[in-house]
Amino acid sequence: MPLTRKIPCTVQTIIKHSDDVFTLVLEPEKSLPRFRPGQFLHLAIDDYDPSGFWPESRVFSIASSSNHSTSLIISYSVKGTFTARMANELFEGARVWVKLPYGEFIIQSGEDVVLLAGGTGITAFTAFIESLDADHPDETRLFYGARNESLLLYEGMISSVAGSTPAFSTHYYLEELTAPRNDGGQIYFPGRLSIDGIIRHLSHPEGYSYYLSGPPEMLNVFSHQLVDCGIEKCRVRIDAWE
Amino acid sequence: MDELRRAVLDAVDKYYSEKYSGRKFDPLVDRVHYAGRVFDQEELVNLVDSSLDFYLTANRYAEEFEFLFADYLGTDDALLVNSGSSANLVALTALTSDKLGEKRLKPGDEVITTAAGFPTTLAPILQNNLVPVFVDVNLGDYTANPDQLLNAIGPKTRAIMMAHTLGVPFDLNTVMRLVKEHDLWLVEDNCDALGSRYNGQLTGTFGHLASHSFYPAHHITMGEGGCVVTRDETLGRIARSIRDWGRDCYCAGGENNTCGKRFSQQFGTLPYGYDHKYVYSHIGYNLKVTDMQAAIGVAQLKKLPSFIEKRKQNFSALTKILAPYEEHLILPKATPNSDPAWFAFPITVRDTAGFTRNEITEFLEANRIETRNLFSGNLLRHPAFMNIERRVVGDLKNTDLITNNTFFIGVYPGIEEAHLEWINEVFQRFMTGEGR
Repeated sequence: MPLTRKIPCTVQTIIKHSDDVFTLVLEPEKSLPRFRPGQFLHLAIDDYDPSGFWPESRVFSIASSSNHSTSLIISYSVKGTFTARMANELFEGARVWVKLPYGEFIIQSGEDVVLLAGGTGITAFTAFIESLDADHPDETRLFYGARNESLLLYEGMISSVAGSTPAFSTHYYLEELTAPRNDGGQIYFPGRLSIDGIIRHLSHPEGYSYYLSGPPEMLNVFSHQLVDCGIEKCRVRIDAWE
Repeated sequence: MDELRRAVLDAVDKYYSEKYSGRKFDPLVDRVHYAGRVFDQEELVNLVDSSLDFYLTANRYAEEFEFLFADYLGTDDALLVNSGSSANLVALTALTSDKLGEKRLKPGDEVITTAAGFPTTLAPILQNNLVPVFVDVNLGDYTANPDQLLNAIGPKTRAIMMAHTLGVPFDLNTVMRLVKEHDLWLVEDNCDALGSRYNGQLTGTFGHLASHSFYPAHHITMGEGGCVVTRDETLGRIARSIRDWGRDCYCAGGENNTCGKRFSQQFGTLPYGYDHKYVYSHIGYNLKVTDMQAAIGVAQLKKLPSFIEKRKQNFSALTKILAPYEEHLILPKATPNSDPAWFAFPITVRDTAGFTRNEITEFLEANRIETRNLFSGNLLRHPAFMNIERRVVGDLKNTDLITNNTFFIGVYPGIEEAHLEWINEVFQRFMTGEGR
């Protein structure tokens, strides 16, 4: 964990994807510290007074990359009282505090990887995906599930990178879809993400490292199922917080 | 409340003006210090501002300083400690961490260093049960002799830890070649050299770790303070652990669960979920700074570029003043490819000078020009170090000469034209026979 910094930010943009899923674009009032794809920040709604303690906060993966020095992007779904406060109290122009960066959910280079994202869990991968280029040497397979297509956050960026990065491929799963749909070559699979479904797409499942990001229940179930499928435990990495 | 705070800080600003500003140097009364604090109202205001927070331990100013300091050096991590000596201790001790696996330094491993310097460059080597290998230094730049460095490598040599003496970068071409060829660790003691460059690159950014000092004699000050910098995330985390009691948790003071895994990890044979705040992965210390120190440092850091420039100007001026006496004095010089941010102006009295180091320093001191020896001279002649386990390359002839013949005067930014004129006059008087 390199240098961390507490920074006041202005909420620049709020994107409402549904009644309970939002993306925030934050404009920091100080220079951002360097951070790596997969790291997270703490966000506090209440004002921070340096003479006291850090107020109540929640952690969110930083969806934007360190290259965007003038903004921070996070996405969240309303799951509890804090995120409900975020949905109700934040407005464009509001001031929040963040402290960052934290976390060690860093995708290692030199290994083929499977990225499993459920809902807003995709934000743990977006900065990494954005950094991929045509010469990326490691096979990278993204399996990304959401309720419907409007909740496939960052799909435009992800598909664009997939189009220009031969080693990167995507598999989208939509819960509200009833049959597979081919949209200009991009196939959307119906139903929830499942380990069985994912393994079927992989010719040599044991050859990948698996990075899981999503709701706690998904992380718990998927990580056990992967091990049950013969994947070494050390090759299953999860983005979990208490 | 904000208005009241502003009023306090405005009063501090005014106090500075009345207490400290506008002082003129009087050569017949005032001393020409070899070093000292150079500050204005901003340091006082920051200090009081921090004290009004009354957070006391490292907080917003420490965070700000570490960010700005890393940014200045272009490193990824900077962690404040309570002195440059602590920075050396933390930096070298970090290399003994189990987290480094087989690459870690183990008791009995050798570390190349010099004996002509400050004791706390050497002390961490001994405190970690490592064996120092001493090489001699050059006269004039007082850094390790490159030929001796080449000869110092042995089968147990695992690291190099040396100072950029008085701001002069040691021969980093040779050192980096050795580091690469022999897979050595490098710790740069950059305490006296903040702002010095080698091949255009700032010293303190070549090694795996580097130390800095903010004691008042140094390029910037916090009173007491120091900093460890590194580009290596693992080393940074280890160093932070060693600074902070050896704990595994990296939460700042007063914070909890920033990692989100406070109660859900397994360590050693502790019960699963044992509070991460009290899990210890190193045998560490408590070497942290207060936020008041860091507050001063934030103001000082803004002045660093002008401080460095002033040190260089004063060095050039003193070189001109003393050039006529080169027959008697060895004047300082930079190592090839380097651009020192001079800590001081070292002078070695030649054996043929016809006077001794002590005779000239006594005359200078009597005329209120402060002098210092080159720190310890030969450390191996000091009671604490006489009997240490060590290996010596060659005979340390120059190191012994420095012990007897070398001293330095100041170049710090508080030295102005009037001070230089006085130094010129006093040296002229001594060289024409007065006081001998």
